[in-house]
Amino acid sequence: MKPTQARPAVKLGLILVALVAALAVTPSATQATPAYARQTGVSCQACHTVFPELTPFGRKFKLNAYVFTNVKQLAPVSEQAQRTLALSEIPPVAIQLQGSNTMLARALPDSGLTKELSQKNSTEFPQALSLFYTGKIADELGAFLQLTWNPSSNSVGIDNSDLRFANHASFAAEETPDLIYGLTLNNNPTSQDVWNSTPAWGYPFIVTNVGVPPVAKALLDGQLAQASAGFGAYVYLFDHLYIEASGYRSAQTSFTNATTGGPGPLDSTAPSARISSPVAPYWRVAWEQAWGSHSLEVGTYGIWAETHPPGIGESGPKNTFTDAALDGQYQFITDDHTFSLAATWIHEARKFDNITLGFSTTGTRDEILYAAGTPVLGSAKGRPDTQGAILEIDFLPWLNTKLGAQYTMYGKFNGGTRNYDGFGRRASDNNTLFLFVWTSF
Amino acid sequence: MNAKLLVAGIATLALSAASAHAADNRAALELIRKECSSCHGPRGISVSPMFPNLAGQQAPYLEAQLRAFRDHSRADPHAQAYMWGMAAQLTDDTVKDIAAYFASQPPARGTAADPAEVAAGKKIYENGITAQNVPPCQSCHTPTAGGNGPFPRLAGQHRRYLEKQLEVFAANLRANEIMHANAVNLTALQISQLAAFLSSQ
Repeated sequence: MKPTQARPAVKLGLILVALVAALAVTPSATQATPAYARQTGVSCQACHTVFPELTPFGRKFKLNAYVFTNVKQLAPVSEQAQRTLALSEIPPVAIQLQGSNTMLARALPDSGLTKELSQKNSTEFPQALSLFYTGKIADELGAFLQLTWNPSSNSVGIDNSDLRFANHASFAAEETPDLIYGLTLNNNPTSQDVWNSTPAWGYPFIVTNVGVPPVAKALLDGQLAQASAGFGAYVYLFDHLYIEASGYRSAQTSFTNATTGGPGPLDSTAPSARISSPVAPYWRVAWEQAWGSHSLEVGTYGIWAETHPPGIGESGPKNTFTDAALDGQYQFITDDHTFSLAATWIHEARKFDNITLGFSTTGTRDEILYAAGTPVLGSAKGRPDTQGAILEIDFLPWLNTKLGAQYTMYGKFNGGTRNYDGFGRRASDNNTLFLFVWTSF
Repeated sequence: MNAKLLVAGIATLALSAASAHAADNRAALELIRKECSSCHGPRGISVSPMFPNLAGQQAPYLEAQLRAFRDHSRADPHAQAYMWGMAAQLTDDTVKDIAAYFASQPPARGTAADPAEVAAGKKIYENGITAQNVPPCQSCHTPTAGGNGPFPRLAGQHRRYLEKQLEVFAANLRANEIMHANAVNLTALQISQLAAFLSSQ
């Protein structure tokens, strides 16, 4: 049977605005991974404002394939004096630990308990535990690889991963590069991006595992994370213009390994969506302008993908998504103060959702996508509209450790305010206070 | 005949020394291309005032700073965070080549500042402040502020960078007895005026 094409004309707007203002006596700072700090000998604040947000130097480090190193290398040369290997004598490994406590404004209904005993408070320690291998692999080749233990499935799985090659070219003098060009192999659209106004490394940088997620989320907003593999090429011209073209694909739904009879390579991750077309094209164009302590980026990115909804086989209906986004980021960075603002707006032809200081998801009514009849997670009106704000305050007692308090407020949730699910739950009942510790070393 | 052979031998030696140095120069250019330029700009003119302009800087000064980053004798917080790592693996030849490259670049042009501040800063730069034991800066840094050997070029430098350096000299975070003595009695206003003047040159 031929797959039928289902193209509900659902429009989805996502507005994401992140505002991070760090006013600190000591340099505000960071590290995405301490392994990079060990490799470069450079402190966290060279690459990060408040981790994981990147500074202009951090963006260059990533565009240059994470290869800058200051540790001794095992680097034999050929008879032509070419380096045949460049391995750090210290393996670039690091650990990341996140712990958290989440408080919902109103407990979730629990059939086995009386209202008084229902729990609205969840502690996760760790919320996530990651092992990084991040650093130079060879001349012009570097890696950001992350394995994460997930408490909800009690399993270790691949997290964001980026393997990249980069080099320079000049139009004039050899020592003045006019462009950086590179190739990236990664498993999450936008994880390869260097601005923090795109979803993979956008605000909020950490979210609770145990809150109530709105029904709608754009495909590009993490739906394909670790459920797809992408390969792309990029150029960064004259320190201003970034252009990238990539293609993503997933393993077939219900793919079975013919030899072992076991699940296919990506099946064990049970992704929420997977690409069913041979390739999903992804594009990215951005312009960066820097002056004094300021930098401004404006850009666009997007993906076109056909997917099978979770749990539906190859012969089932397909969704066709076209996500087109606009984004912008402003940073003001000095030794003493940092101010940054990021925004993104994703328009999705067929689906939904949100994040950040202010967020807003709107969409058309669809009673199959946004089913009525489900307490808490459903929508009585069959609509995905969700609006609210996320406020976060972070304190970094050390450059590699962040203590944070994050409060998520909903003005509207899944299309309603007072009784959005038809079971008496108010949007504000899902307001969430999330306290966390995030460290890596 | 023997003399000719000797000359040829010396010429060969000189040639191989030159090519060895050229190879080292390529290593420096590679570093400049991939690392230095990320903060200091491809031709040594930086965008952010957190990072100094290096174009047209005195080569002996640049060499001394790179060695001081490498051996940790320049230890202001900014140096520790950024340049200790950057300079850690530099060889003496690479230090020389990097310094020579930036010294040979055309320096940054000055940026305009408030004329009253510039005039006040010029006065301090040229005459010093006798009452505060501040000698004329121009006696070492030259009347044009172009610097001289170990005394750095200050003209056209970022205003905020210059202010920061006077602050860390005054606080003894950047160890330099002479500059500590010169900076410790300056008020914040005088530092700001001096920096305004120099960055406008």
